[in-house]
Amino acid sequence: MAKRRAQPPPESPSPVIVCALAWAIPGAGHLWLGRSRTGGILLVALPLMYGVGLWLDGQLFGVDLAQPLTTLSGLADIGIGVLYFVAGFLDLGEGRVVAATYEYGNTFLVVAGLLNALVVIDAYDIAVGRK
Amino acid sequence: MTSHFGLMLLFGVFVSLVFALLMRDDPREQVRFGAMLFAGIVGAGVVFGWLLYALPL
Repeated sequence: MAKRRAQPPPESPSPVIVCALAWAIPGAGHLWLGRSRTGGILLVALPLMYGVGLWLDGQLFGVDLAQPLTTLSGLADIGIGVLYFVAGFLDLGEGRVVAATYEYGNTFLVVAGLLNALVVIDAYDIAVGRK
Repeated sequence: MTSHFGLMLLFGVFVSLVFALLMRDDPREQVRFGAMLFAGIVGAGVVFGWLLYALPL
């Protein structure tokens, strides 16, 4: 017998919009879906982790198709959403290669972006009623 | 704070916090799962650190 799929709440917003919001502002998708405690913690924790990465002289990579590994790092960095562009606009994330904490900073930046990608997937699951 | 070990602790806090929030729904279970994950990250880091210490490159 086929497994019945959980239905989303009738008044729930479009999953696409939830995902876009969750990507742009970490935790915002959960906040919109009524998971205020989870959303609030994510709203503080992920930008803080990103900020620590910038403080540690990490570098924000861009998308450069000629360099696939750099592109992967850039895509992971962009996972944090609007913060990536704000940091770029403020000339943060230039990266200081000679700093002892440079690689640590990169790791914090990349992992913060990837964790936000997981948060987006979780928000999608909630929006479509899977969770 | 910017020692290798301090940064690993900070990294472990962030990662275990987010995973606990995403993978458990009950707050009590979140705390338990997050603490176990944090201990696992730190423990594995220390063990691998000592293993690499024995392998000079």
